[in-house]
Amino acid sequence: MNVQEYISSGIVESYVLGLASPEEQREFEQMSAQYPEVLEARIAFETSLEQQAMSNTIIPPPAFKAQVRAAVFLENQTQQAKVVTIDRGAPVVRTGWIKYAAAAAVILLAGSLFWNISLFNENNKLKTDYTAATGRLADLEKDMSTLMNPNVQMTAMKGLEASPASYTTVYWDSTAKSVFLLVNNLPKPASDKQYQLWAILDGQPVDLGMIDNQYLIGQRPLLLRMNNVSGAQAFAITLEKAGGNPKPEGPMYTLGNR
Amino acid sequence: MSITQKYSEQELVSLLQQRQESSFGYLYDNYAGALLGVVGGIVADQETARDVLQEVFVNIWRKIELYDPAKGRLFTWMMNIARNAAIDKIRSKGYQDSLKNHSIPENADQNFPATGPQVDDVGLRKVLNQLKEEHRVLVDLSYFQGYTHDEISKALNIPLGTVKTRIRSALIHLRTLIKQ
Repeated sequence: MNVQEYISSGIVESYVLGLASPEEQREFEQMSAQYPEVLEARIAFETSLEQQAMSNTIIPPPAFKAQVRAAVFLENQTQQAKVVTIDRGAPVVRTGWIKYAAAAAVILLAGSLFWNISLFNENNKLKTDYTAATGRLADLEKDMSTLMNPNVQMTAMKGLEASPASYTTVYWDSTAKSVFLLVNNLPKPASDKQYQLWAILDGQPVDLGMIDNQYLIGQRPLLLRMNNVSGAQAFAITLEKAGGNPKPEGPMYTLGNR
Repeated sequence: MSITQKYSEQELVSLLQQRQESSFGYLYDNYAGALLGVVGGIVADQETARDVLQEVFVNIWRKIELYDPAKGRLFTWMMNIARNAAIDKIRSKGYQDSLKNHSIPENADQNFPATGPQVDDVGLRKVLNQLKEEHRVLVDLSYFQGYTHDEISKALNIPLGTVKTRIRSALIHLRTLIKQ
Protein backbone atom coordinates (compact mmCIF):
# COMPACT_ATOMS: atom_id res chain seq x y z
CA MET A 1 0.00 0.00 0.00
CA ASN A 2 1.43 3.38 -0.94
CA VAL A 3 1.23 6.44 1.29
CA GLN A 4 -1.66 8.05 -0.60
CA GLU A 5 -3.72 4.89 -0.35
CA TYR A 6 -2.89 4.69 3.32
CA ILE A 7 -4.01 8.27 3.88
CA SER A 8 -7.29 7.78 2.05
CA SER A 9 -8.08 4.46 3.75
CA GLY A 10 -9.96 6.20 6.58
CA ILE A 11 -7.17 5.53 9.08
CA VAL A 12 -6.57 9.28 9.59
CA GLU A 13 -10.18 9.83 10.69
CA SER A 14 -10.20 6.61 12.65
CA TYR A 15 -7.05 7.62 14.52
CA VAL A 16 -8.11 11.19 15.25
CA LEU A 17 -11.59 10.21 16.42
CA GLY A 18 -10.14 7.60 18.76
CA LEU A 19 -11.58 4.62 16.89
CA ALA A 20 -8.32 2.99 15.80
CA SER A 21 -7.10 -0.17 17.52
CA PRO A 22 -3.84 -0.01 19.52
CA GLU A 23 -1.92 -1.64 16.65
CA GLU A 24 -3.41 0.77 14.13
CA GLN A 25 -2.46 3.65 16.41
CA ARG A 26 1.15 2.52 16.67
CA GLU A 27 1.34 2.05 12.93
CA PHE A 28 -0.20 5.46 12.29
CA GLU A 29 2.17 7.21 14.65
CA GLN A 30 5.07 5.54 12.92
CA MET A 31 3.73 6.49 9.49
CA SER A 32 3.12 10.11 10.42
CA ALA A 33 6.60 10.40 11.87
CA GLN A 34 7.99 8.97 8.64
CA TYR A 35 5.76 10.62 6.02
CA PRO A 36 4.99 14.34 6.22
CA GLU A 37 1.90 13.78 4.02
CA VAL A 38 0.37 11.56 6.66
CA LEU A 39 1.07 14.12 9.37
CA GLU A 40 -0.37 16.84 7.15
CA ALA A 41 -3.53 14.84 6.52
CA ARG A 42 -3.92 14.25 10.23
CA ILE A 43 -3.54 17.94 11.08
CA ALA A 44 -5.93 18.92 8.28
CA PHE A 45 -8.64 16.60 9.61
CA GLU A 46 -8.02 17.67 13.20
CA THR A 47 -8.31 21.30 12.21
CA SER A 48 -11.60 20.83 10.39
CA LEU A 49 -12.91 18.78 13.30
CA GLU A 50 -11.95 21.55 15.71
CA GLN A 51 -13.59 24.17 13.50
CA GLN A 52 -16.72 22.05 13.32
CA ALA A 53 -16.76 21.77 17.12
CA MET A 54 -16.10 25.49 17.55
CA SER A 55 -19.11 26.33 15.42
CA ASN A 56 -21.32 23.85 17.30
CA THR A 57 -20.82 24.97 20.86
CA ILE A 58 -23.27 24.61 23.74
CA ILE A 59 -22.61 27.48 26.08
CA PRO A 60 -22.83 26.48 29.76
CA PRO A 61 -24.48 28.92 32.21
CA PRO A 62 -22.03 31.66 33.33
CA ALA A 63 -22.01 30.50 36.97
CA PHE A 64 -20.80 27.08 35.89
CA LYS A 65 -17.23 28.28 35.37
CA ALA A 66 -16.69 28.94 39.08
CA GLN A 67 -17.98 25.48 39.91
CA VAL A 68 -15.62 23.81 37.43
CA ARG A 69 -12.71 25.94 38.64
CA ALA A 70 -13.38 24.88 42.23
CA ALA A 71 -13.55 21.21 41.20
CA VAL A 72 -10.34 21.49 39.18
CA PHE A 73 -8.30 23.20 41.88
CA LEU A 74 -9.61 21.10 44.73
CA GLU A 75 -8.73 18.02 42.70
CA ASN A 76 -5.39 19.56 41.81
CA GLN A 77 -4.38 20.10 45.44
CA THR A 78 -5.01 16.52 46.42
CA GLN A 79 -3.36 15.39 43.21
CA GLN A 80 -0.22 17.46 43.90
CA ALA A 81 -0.02 16.06 47.40
CA LYS A 82 -0.18 12.56 45.95
CA VAL A 83 2.50 13.29 43.35
CA VAL A 84 4.90 14.51 46.03
CA THR A 85 4.43 11.55 48.32
CA ILE A 86 5.00 9.05 45.54
CA ASP A 87 7.79 10.84 43.70
CA ARG A 88 10.71 11.23 46.08
CA GLY A 89 12.79 12.92 43.41
CA ALA A 90 10.23 15.67 43.00
CA PRO A 91 11.69 19.11 42.36
CA VAL A 92 11.91 21.50 45.30
CA VAL A 93 9.35 23.84 43.72
CA ARG A 94 6.67 21.30 44.47
CA THR A 95 7.16 21.44 48.22
CA GLY A 96 5.60 24.90 47.98
CA TRP A 97 2.46 23.23 46.78
CA ILE A 98 2.35 20.68 49.53
CA LYS A 99 2.77 23.42 52.12
CA TYR A 100 -0.25 25.20 50.71
CA ALA A 101 -2.11 21.95 50.31
CA ALA A 102 -1.29 20.93 53.89
CA ALA A 103 -2.20 24.37 55.24
CA ALA A 104 -5.43 24.29 53.28
CA ALA A 105 -6.13 20.78 54.54
CA VAL A 106 -5.55 21.83 58.15
CA ILE A 107 -7.78 24.86 57.75
CA LEU A 108 -10.45 22.77 56.07
CA LEU A 109 -10.18 20.13 58.78
CA ALA A 110 -10.39 22.70 61.58
CA GLY A 111 -13.32 24.38 59.88
CA SER A 112 -15.05 21.08 59.35
CA LEU A 113 -14.40 20.05 62.96
CA PHE A 114 -15.78 23.32 64.28
CA TRP A 115 -18.77 22.97 62.02
CA ASN A 116 -19.33 19.40 63.15
CA ILE A 117 -19.21 20.42 66.81
CA SER A 118 -21.66 23.25 66.33
CA LEU A 119 -23.94 20.93 64.32
CA PHE A 120 -23.65 18.36 67.11
CA ASN A 121 -24.56 20.94 69.75
CA GLU A 122 -27.38 22.29 67.69
CA ASN A 123 -28.62 18.76 67.13
CA ASN A 124 -28.58 18.05 70.86
CA LYS A 125 -30.42 21.26 71.63
CA LEU A 126 -33.03 20.38 69.02
CA LYS A 127 -33.42 16.93 70.58
CA THR A 128 -33.96 18.43 74.06
CA ASP A 129 -36.37 21.02 72.69
CA TYR A 130 -38.24 18.34 70.81
CA THR A 131 -38.57 16.11 73.89
CA ALA A 132 -39.79 19.06 75.97
CA ALA A 133 -42.28 20.07 73.29
CA THR A 134 -43.71 16.56 72.84
CA GLY A 135 -43.98 16.19 76.64
CA ARG A 136 -45.83 19.50 76.86
CA LEU A 137 -48.09 18.47 73.99
CA ALA A 138 -48.94 15.17 75.73
CA ASP A 139 -49.83 17.09 78.95
CA LEU A 140 -52.07 19.48 77.04
CA GLU A 141 -53.77 16.62 75.21
CA LYS A 142 -54.48 14.92 78.54
CA ASP A 143 -55.96 18.16 79.95
CA MET A 144 -57.98 18.58 76.80
CA SER A 145 -59.53 15.12 77.11
CA THR A 146 -60.42 15.93 80.77
CA LEU A 147 -62.18 19.13 79.68
CA MET A 148 -64.04 17.30 76.91
CA ASN A 149 -65.35 14.59 79.21
CA PRO A 150 -69.18 15.09 79.30
CA ASN A 151 -69.28 14.17 83.04
CA VAL A 152 -66.99 17.05 83.94
CA GLN A 153 -68.74 20.13 85.30
CA MET A 154 -67.17 23.56 85.43
CA THR A 155 -67.33 26.05 88.29
CA ALA A 156 -65.94 29.55 87.78
CA MET A 157 -64.43 31.08 90.94
CA LYS A 158 -64.29 34.85 91.01
CA GLY A 159 -61.89 37.08 92.91
CA LEU A 160 -62.93 38.44 96.28
CA GLU A 161 -62.03 41.60 98.22
CA ALA A 162 -58.49 40.41 98.99
CA SER A 163 -57.73 40.23 95.26
CA PRO A 164 -60.58 41.14 92.89
CA ALA A 165 -58.50 40.34 89.79
CA SER A 166 -58.01 36.73 90.88
CA TYR A 167 -59.82 34.05 88.94
CA THR A 168 -59.74 30.27 89.13
CA THR A 169 -61.84 27.44 87.68
CA VAL A 170 -62.68 24.01 89.09
CA TYR A 171 -63.58 21.07 86.89
CA TRP A 172 -65.32 18.32 88.83
CA ASP A 173 -65.95 14.87 87.41
CA SER A 174 -69.37 13.84 88.77
CA THR A 175 -68.67 10.15 88.06
CA ALA A 176 -65.04 9.76 89.12
CA LYS A 177 -65.41 12.48 91.80
CA SER A 178 -62.02 13.85 90.72
CA VAL A 179 -61.23 17.56 90.97
CA PHE A 180 -59.07 19.61 88.57
CA LEU A 181 -58.10 23.20 89.21
CA LEU A 182 -57.24 25.76 86.58
CA VAL A 183 -55.43 28.82 87.94
CA ASN A 184 -56.45 31.58 85.57
CA ASN A 185 -54.99 34.28 87.76
CA LEU A 186 -53.68 34.36 91.34
CA PRO A 187 -51.05 36.73 92.77
CA LYS A 188 -47.74 35.15 93.63
CA PRO A 189 -47.73 34.38 97.36
CA ALA A 190 -44.91 35.00 99.84
CA SER A 191 -42.63 31.99 100.17
CA ASP A 192 -44.03 31.03 103.61
CA LYS A 193 -47.61 31.09 102.31
CA GLN A 194 -49.55 28.73 100.05
CA TYR A 195 -52.98 28.67 98.47
CA GLN A 196 -55.38 25.93 99.60
CA LEU A 197 -58.47 24.70 97.74
CA TRP A 198 -61.63 23.88 99.64
CA ALA A 199 -64.94 22.29 98.75
CA ILE A 200 -67.93 23.55 100.75
CA LEU A 201 -70.07 20.51 101.43
CA ASP A 202 -73.15 20.86 103.66
CA GLY A 203 -71.73 24.13 105.04
CA GLN A 204 -68.41 22.53 106.02
CA PRO A 205 -65.04 23.17 104.29
CA VAL A 206 -63.37 20.01 102.90
CA ASP A 207 -59.62 20.22 102.22
CA LEU A 208 -58.93 19.53 98.52
CA GLY A 209 -55.19 20.13 98.74
CA MET A 210 -52.44 22.70 98.35
CA ILE A 211 -51.40 24.58 95.23
CA ASP A 212 -47.64 24.28 94.82
CA ASN A 213 -46.18 27.80 94.58
CA GLN A 214 -44.04 26.57 91.70
CA TYR A 215 -47.20 26.17 89.62
CA LEU A 216 -47.78 29.89 89.90
CA ILE A 217 -44.52 30.86 88.20
CA GLY A 218 -43.33 30.09 84.74
CA GLN A 219 -44.60 27.25 82.64
CA ARG A 220 -47.09 25.11 84.54
CA PRO A 221 -49.48 22.32 83.82
CA LEU A 222 -52.83 23.64 82.67
CA LEU A 223 -54.94 21.58 85.10
CA LEU A 224 -53.87 20.71 88.66
CA ARG A 225 -55.15 17.44 89.93
CA MET A 226 -56.57 18.03 93.43
CA ASN A 227 -58.12 15.67 96.05
CA ASN A 228 -61.35 13.86 95.15
CA VAL A 229 -64.62 15.02 96.66
CA SER A 230 -68.02 13.30 96.57
CA GLY A 231 -69.88 16.58 96.03
CA ALA A 232 -69.83 20.31 96.72
CA GLN A 233 -72.12 23.31 96.87
CA ALA A 234 -69.17 25.67 96.37
CA PHE A 235 -65.39 25.85 95.93
CA ALA A 236 -63.04 28.36 97.55
CA ILE A 237 -59.35 29.22 97.67
CA THR A 238 -57.74 30.73 100.74
CA LEU A 239 -54.17 31.80 101.42
CA GLU A 240 -52.76 29.74 104.29
CA LYS A 241 -49.40 29.07 105.86
CA ALA A 242 -47.11 26.83 103.77
CA GLY A 243 -48.34 23.25 104.03
CA GLY A 244 -51.89 24.36 104.73
CA ASN A 245 -54.37 24.17 107.60
CA PRO A 246 -57.03 21.60 108.52
CA LYS A 247 -59.60 24.46 108.56
CA PRO A 248 -59.33 27.69 106.53
CA GLU A 249 -57.77 30.52 108.56
CA GLY A 250 -56.40 32.97 106.00
CA PRO A 251 -58.11 35.39 103.62
CA MET A 252 -60.32 33.97 100.88
CA TYR A 253 -59.10 34.78 97.35
CA THR A 254 -61.67 33.16 95.06
CA LEU A 255 -65.11 31.62 95.51
CA GLY A 256 -67.52 29.90 93.13
CA ASN A 257 -70.99 28.46 93.78
CA ARG A 258 -72.15 25.45 91.85
CA MET B 1 -10.58 48.76 25.57
CA SER B 2 -10.32 45.22 26.71
CA ILE B 3 -7.30 43.21 25.78
CA THR B 4 -7.98 39.57 25.15
CA GLN B 5 -4.86 37.55 25.52
CA LYS B 6 -4.42 35.03 22.80
CA TYR B 7 -2.10 32.10 23.32
CA SER B 8 -0.78 29.79 20.68
CA GLU B 9 -1.56 26.16 21.31
CA GLN B 10 2.04 25.52 22.30
CA GLU B 11 2.02 28.40 24.81
CA LEU B 12 -1.25 27.23 26.28
CA VAL B 13 0.00 23.68 26.70
CA SER B 14 3.15 24.91 28.38
CA LEU B 15 1.18 27.15 30.77
CA LEU B 16 -1.16 24.28 31.57
CA GLN B 17 1.74 21.95 32.21
CA GLN B 18 3.25 24.50 34.58
CA ARG B 19 -0.19 24.58 36.19
CA GLN B 20 -0.49 28.32 35.86
CA GLU B 21 -3.82 29.10 37.41
CA SER B 22 -4.60 31.77 34.82
CA SER B 23 -4.41 29.16 32.06
CA PHE B 24 -7.51 27.47 33.45
CA GLY B 25 -9.62 30.57 32.75
CA TYR B 26 -8.28 30.75 29.21
CA LEU B 27 -8.85 27.05 28.61
CA TYR B 28 -12.39 27.25 29.94
CA ASP B 29 -13.33 30.42 28.08
CA ASN B 30 -12.06 29.06 24.78
CA TYR B 31 -13.10 25.43 24.93
CA ALA B 32 -15.96 24.89 27.40
CA GLY B 33 -18.62 25.52 24.76
CA ALA B 34 -17.02 23.28 22.13
CA LEU B 35 -16.37 20.47 24.61
CA LEU B 36 -19.92 20.69 25.96
CA GLY B 37 -21.01 20.39 22.33
CA VAL B 38 -19.01 17.16 22.06
CA VAL B 39 -20.43 15.81 25.33
CA GLY B 40 -23.93 16.97 24.41
CA GLY B 41 -23.82 14.86 21.24
CA ILE B 42 -23.52 11.79 23.46
CA VAL B 43 -25.30 12.71 26.69
CA ALA B 44 -28.65 14.32 25.95
CA ASP B 45 -29.60 15.45 29.45
CA GLN B 46 -28.15 18.93 29.87
CA GLU B 47 -27.49 18.72 33.57
CA THR B 48 -25.73 15.36 33.22
CA ALA B 49 -23.76 16.74 30.28
CA ARG B 50 -22.53 19.61 32.46
CA ASP B 51 -21.47 17.14 35.17
CA VAL B 52 -19.47 15.33 32.52
CA LEU B 53 -17.94 18.60 31.32
CA GLN B 54 -16.74 19.36 34.84
CA GLU B 55 -15.13 15.93 34.97
CA VAL B 56 -13.53 16.61 31.58
CA PHE B 57 -11.83 19.77 32.85
CA VAL B 58 -10.65 17.97 35.98
CA ASN B 59 -9.19 15.24 33.76
CA ILE B 60 -7.56 17.69 31.37
CA TRP B 61 -5.91 19.51 34.27
CA ARG B 62 -4.85 16.27 35.88
CA LYS B 63 -3.53 14.55 32.77
CA ILE B 64 -2.04 17.49 30.89
CA GLU B 65 1.46 16.12 31.45
CA LEU B 66 0.49 13.06 29.44
CA TYR B 67 -0.48 15.17 26.44
CA ASP B 68 1.94 14.50 23.59
CA PRO B 69 1.84 17.09 20.77
CA ALA B 70 3.45 14.55 18.44
CA LYS B 71 0.29 12.47 18.58
CA GLY B 72 -2.25 15.16 17.88
CA ARG B 73 -3.52 18.66 18.46
CA LEU B 74 -4.54 19.77 21.93
CA PHE B 75 -8.19 20.03 20.93
CA THR B 76 -8.19 16.49 19.54
CA TRP B 77 -6.78 15.24 22.82
CA MET B 78 -9.37 17.15 24.85
CA MET B 79 -12.16 16.05 22.53
CA ASN B 80 -11.24 12.42 23.09
CA ILE B 81 -11.20 12.95 26.86
CA ALA B 82 -14.68 14.49 26.53
CA ARG B 83 -15.94 11.63 24.35
CA ASN B 84 -14.59 8.97 26.72
CA ALA B 85 -16.03 10.67 29.79
CA ALA B 86 -19.42 11.02 28.09
CA ILE B 87 -19.46 7.36 27.03
CA ASP B 88 -18.41 6.27 30.52
CA LYS B 89 -21.34 8.30 31.85
CA ILE B 90 -24.01 6.82 29.56
CA ARG B 91 -22.72 3.35 30.35
CA SER B 92 -22.58 3.93 34.12
CA LYS B 93 -25.01 2.03 36.28
CA GLY B 94 -26.47 5.22 37.72
CA TYR B 95 -27.27 6.59 34.29
CA GLN B 96 -28.62 3.28 33.05
CA ASP B 97 -30.86 3.07 36.12
CA SER B 98 -32.18 6.56 35.56
CA LEU B 99 -33.12 5.53 32.00
CA LYS B 100 -35.32 2.74 33.22
CA ASN B 101 -37.83 5.39 34.12
CA HIS B 102 -37.98 6.51 30.52
CA SER B 103 -39.43 4.65 27.58
CA ILE B 104 -36.95 3.10 25.18
CA PRO B 105 -36.83 4.91 21.84
CA GLU B 106 -38.82 3.03 19.21
CA ASN B 107 -35.95 2.41 16.84
CA ALA B 108 -33.61 1.25 19.58
CA ASP B 109 -31.53 -1.71 18.56
CA GLN B 110 -32.50 -4.63 20.73
CA ASN B 111 -28.93 -5.89 20.88
CA PHE B 112 -27.61 -2.83 22.67
CA PRO B 113 -28.67 -1.36 25.97
CA ALA B 114 -30.47 1.94 25.67
CA THR B 115 -28.32 5.03 25.96
CA GLY B 116 -31.19 7.39 26.46
CA PRO B 117 -32.77 10.13 24.45
CA GLN B 118 -30.52 11.54 21.77
CA VAL B 119 -30.07 15.03 20.49
CA ASP B 120 -29.87 15.18 16.73
CA ASP B 121 -28.80 18.75 16.26
CA VAL B 122 -25.66 18.84 18.38
CA GLY B 123 -22.11 18.85 17.02
CA LEU B 124 -20.98 15.84 15.06
CA ARG B 125 -24.40 14.25 15.41
CA LYS B 126 -25.75 16.82 13.01
CA VAL B 127 -23.25 15.58 10.44
CA LEU B 128 -23.98 11.98 11.31
CA ASN B 129 -27.57 12.35 10.17
CA GLN B 130 -26.38 13.14 6.66
CA LEU B 131 -24.77 9.72 6.31
CA LYS B 132 -26.62 6.84 4.75
CA GLU B 133 -28.38 4.52 7.17
CA GLU B 134 -25.89 1.61 7.23
CA HIS B 135 -23.03 4.05 7.84
CA ARG B 136 -24.97 6.11 10.34
CA VAL B 137 -25.70 3.12 12.55
CA LEU B 138 -22.07 2.03 12.60
CA VAL B 139 -20.67 5.46 13.40
CA ASP B 140 -23.33 5.92 16.05
CA LEU B 141 -22.47 2.65 17.76
CA SER B 142 -18.72 3.04 17.52
CA TYR B 143 -18.11 6.76 17.97
CA PHE B 144 -21.13 7.94 19.96
CA GLN B 145 -21.74 4.83 22.02
CA GLY B 146 -18.20 3.50 22.25
CA TYR B 147 -18.73 -0.10 21.15
CA THR B 148 -15.71 -1.93 19.78
CA HIS B 149 -15.71 -3.22 16.21
CA ASP B 150 -15.87 -6.71 17.65
CA GLU B 151 -18.94 -5.98 19.80
CA ILE B 152 -20.70 -4.37 16.83
CA SER B 153 -19.83 -7.30 14.58
CA LYS B 154 -21.35 -9.77 17.04
CA ALA B 155 -24.41 -7.72 17.86
CA LEU B 156 -25.34 -6.88 14.29
CA ASN B 157 -24.13 -10.21 12.94
CA ILE B 158 -21.88 -8.59 10.34
CA PRO B 159 -18.35 -9.94 9.75
CA LEU B 160 -15.66 -8.00 11.64
CA GLY B 161 -13.87 -7.09 8.41
CA THR B 162 -17.06 -5.63 6.94
CA VAL B 163 -17.71 -3.60 10.10
CA LYS B 164 -14.22 -2.18 9.88
CA THR B 165 -14.43 -1.37 6.15
CA ARG B 166 -17.84 0.24 6.49
CA ILE B 167 -16.78 2.36 9.44
CA ARG B 168 -13.69 3.49 7.54
CA SER B 169 -15.72 4.54 4.50
CA ALA B 170 -18.33 6.16 6.74
CA LEU B 171 -15.57 8.23 8.36
CA ILE B 172 -14.17 9.27 4.98
CA HIS B 173 -17.63 10.48 4.01
CA LEU B 174 -17.93 12.18 7.40
CA ARG B 175 -14.75 14.11 6.70
CA THR B 176 -16.06 15.49 3.42
CA LEU B 177 -19.27 16.55 5.21
CA ILE B 178 -17.34 18.33 7.97
CA LYS B 179 -15.25 20.24 5.46
CA GLN B 180 -18.33 21.69 3.77
